[in-house]
Amino acid sequence: MARIVGGLGTSHVPSIGAALDKGLRDTPEWKPFFDGYVPAREWVREQRPDVAVVVFNDHFNALFLDRVPTFAVGCAAEYHPVDEGWGPRAIPPFPGASRFAWHLADTLVENRFDPEIIQEIKVDHGLQVPMELFWGRPADAWPVKVVPIFVNVLQYPIPLPARLYELGKTLRRAIESYDGDERFVVLGTGGLSHQLQGARAGFLNREADQRFLVDIAEDPDRLAGWSREQYVETFGGEGAEVVMWLVMRGALNREVVVRHRHYFAPASMTGAGMIVLEDA
Amino acid sequence: MSGPDSHAGEPDRIPDTPLLDRERQLRGYRINKMAMGLGDPANRAAFRADERAYLDRFGLSEEEKAAVLARDWREMVRLGGNLFLILKISAVDPVRITEIGAHQAGMEHEAFLRDRLGKKV
Repeated sequence: MARIVGGLGTSHVPSIGAALDKGLRDTPEWKPFFDGYVPAREWVREQRPDVAVVVFNDHFNALFLDRVPTFAVGCAAEYHPVDEGWGPRAIPPFPGASRFAWHLADTLVENRFDPEIIQEIKVDHGLQVPMELFWGRPADAWPVKVVPIFVNVLQYPIPLPARLYELGKTLRRAIESYDGDERFVVLGTGGLSHQLQGARAGFLNREADQRFLVDIAEDPDRLAGWSREQYVETFGGEGAEVVMWLVMRGALNREVVVRHRHYFAPASMTGAGMIVLEDA
Repeated sequence: MSGPDSHAGEPDRIPDTPLLDRERQLRGYRINKMAMGLGDPANRAAFRADERAYLDRFGLSEEEKAAVLARDWREMVRLGGNLFLILKISAVDPVRITEIGAHQAGMEHEAFLRDRLGKKV
């Protein structure tokens, strides 16, 4: 039977990918950030997940404002890196778990979530960076298949935090009703606090970020009950995307064990958080 | 719901925090579509070769063109430009994201790094 071996949360700042591209991993500015992921990568190596469901948002790289799905499920066989303006990054394409993705689409619709179904799309740093952080960049092929869940967190109305938490619960049902024996991880990505535009640009909230890294494990129901405004006020205009962690958290049991946790600020302009959770 | 959507003519509900609501995305559609185009290398070459002609292809108003040509990030955002889109201009004409941030905050870059981001400068 298919099962979830854990939930991973991480920021997905593009500068992290750029730092890797430029060979800056061990510079004084970046080393403390990347070192924080070493135990998480060890956990991934030990757990050997077959499939990663990656909850993220496209940042107007593969999707534009001409059509904005609130939720979309990638059912493709393969996902290439998209050109974000600097040319596609030199990383291997991500193999898709398309059979499970279709089962997920079925399960979501049967449970009254109605996602867009995508069969051809490229992926931006929102998916790339978390994969590189947890698996490391492979020489030629990724050792895990991906199922991207795209969430609109940019154009209002964005979905309610409570809805994302519910989506996670339905995702768990899809995994547990899947007729395979794959081991799944769910990645919630984005955040933590940052704001890139407006006079409040450069806003960081280290205290709220560190509190979030505790509450996402211990008190997810409270976080799911927050309004969107509360997220924007607390984490900044762009930091509100951290609501996507609630999908990952909803896919786990109410009680979880925190295997690893890390915080570093600022990564570029962002409070960067990481967590590794298992069902208790 | 009294969500973060601001209504026409009203200020942002959360001060100094422009969200891509109905009004802003409608207003910024041309500027954003122009910037989206820079994901294509042929368009980046066209932008480099003749920026004004490239902007004209997307029907930008004089006000919008002036903001882009001056790299006035705060003004581009005021006109409905979204940071993730207009950031692609920095792929053609390099500028650090922290400089874009400082410009919008109305601060010197060094002061922005120190006072907003808590960096040692």
